[in-house]
Amino acid sequence: MLNIKKKEIENILEKFIFPVLPPHLVAIISAIPTAQLAYLMEIRLRINRPLLLVLGSVDIMLSSMGAIVNDLDAAYLCTREDVNKIVQLISKNSLYAFEQELKMGFLTIHGGHRVGLAGQAIVDGGEMKALKNISSLNIRMAREIKGCGDKVMPYIITKEKKVLSTLVISPPCCGKTTILRDLIRQISVGNKEFRGLQVGVVDERSEIAACKSGIPTVDLGPRTDVLDGCPKASGMLMLIRSMSPAVVATDELGRAEDVCAVSEALNAGISILATVHGRDINEVLQRPYVGDLIQHKYFDRYIILSDRPKVGTIEKIVDSKEHKILWEKE
Amino acid sequence: MWIKLAGGVLVLLVSSCIGFQLAARCSGRPQHIRQIVSCLGSLKSYITYASLPLHEALSQCTHGTYGPVAEFFHHTATLLEQNGGLSPQQAINIVLGDMQGRLILKQSELEILGILGANLGIMNRQEQGNYLSMIIEELEKLESEAARLRDLNTRMYRYLGICGGLAIVILLV
Repeated sequence: MLNIKKKEIENILEKFIFPVLPPHLVAIISAIPTAQLAYLMEIRLRINRPLLLVLGSVDIMLSSMGAIVNDLDAAYLCTREDVNKIVQLISKNSLYAFEQELKMGFLTIHGGHRVGLAGQAIVDGGEMKALKNISSLNIRMAREIKGCGDKVMPYIITKEKKVLSTLVISPPCCGKTTILRDLIRQISVGNKEFRGLQVGVVDERSEIAACKSGIPTVDLGPRTDVLDGCPKASGMLMLIRSMSPAVVATDELGRAEDVCAVSEALNAGISILATVHGRDINEVLQRPYVGDLIQHKYFDRYIILSDRPKVGTIEKIVDSKEHKILWEKE
Repeated sequence: MWIKLAGGVLVLLVSSCIGFQLAARCSGRPQHIRQIVSCLGSLKSYITYASLPLHEALSQCTHGTYGPVAEFFHHTATLLEQNGGLSPQQAINIVLGDMQGRLILKQSELEILGILGANLGIMNRQEQGNYLSMIIEELEKLESEAARLRDLNTRMYRYLGICGGLAIVILLV
């Protein structure tokens, strides 16, 4: 298992992450033993602060030789040039092409890996116009884990072979997108008892399908259409009109228009697979807009994830209509 | 006698050739500036409307343009694609260095191309569009100046080449 993880992370680093890092940072990260890199989840860079690698639930600092250090003085401190160069490499000298993403505070690179940004906001008329003086970067590894939705599948398919609308709830970095991606793939592929269905994916942040020139680079099954980089709300309605899917999947609901679009899709007889940030159902209930999704029982199933003991742990599967816990972690 | 005649013809040919070359450079400059303006107009559309990454926009903006100007944009696009660490300004300077003499441009145009590289890709679409419009405007001014000089000098260089050659031949004979 560890060997698979090692190979997977080596592949991700070589193909997607190293090409957007300056050579000296590549050398520092490459010096870490692969056994440790297998747990790499995030690379964090802050100007004049140490380079941090998040491995599972701990983070490590590195020296300029790539050795793991505990002393802040011995750690490699990221420079403004490092951050600027990474932004230049990610955007391919085309910041204008990432205007919308910059407003939302992230860029997505090939492979669906998200790079979070923080810096100085340029505000115009109370609305964020752009981000300047970028000072922090968080490169998050996206992973494709086929089969991670196996446990959930029997609970979201009815006897009539219909997919139940499902909301995946978890705090950030607990594997929401990974499980959503696998559910999409399994619904699209089908199995012995269940014939695959047409699935439409609205991938606003290019994280689910990791599209390159509009074509998914991860396996989402043979019956999946992807609307890449499109806002969720308009994308869901557009897909319903244009591609007539049986299931629409999207990531991270949050805005009022997302809730309206979900409501409209459900009333059109479409099943929805979606994710939302939150520790549990009660926490989501307190959030504006998305709280309505819980209150009005838009979804049939809630899947609650956590990172205890590891990322992607399924805590509970809940039947929302019956208020019944269908499955719970021991 | 025959050697003198052959030498005279050779001198005349060489001087005419120099005159015609200078005339060609004179008429080539406004043509190259016009081609650059046209490519920059397309580049602006590819950036502001299609939001294509810079290297793709640079390689696509040359549709319908041939010769050294198209090569200039293609080479810059290739450099940027192959070496993401290069800034547009660095890429443009490298290509201008490699193409020295092939692009019929004066220092004023080369300076504008250098300035173009300094601000490509680091602004939002609207600002990038405004910036390209400003560059295009500057180049258009230079183009009309170059066209005026072409009308004035092209014929003069041709005649000067032929007449200069004849004068040398007469003096030598």
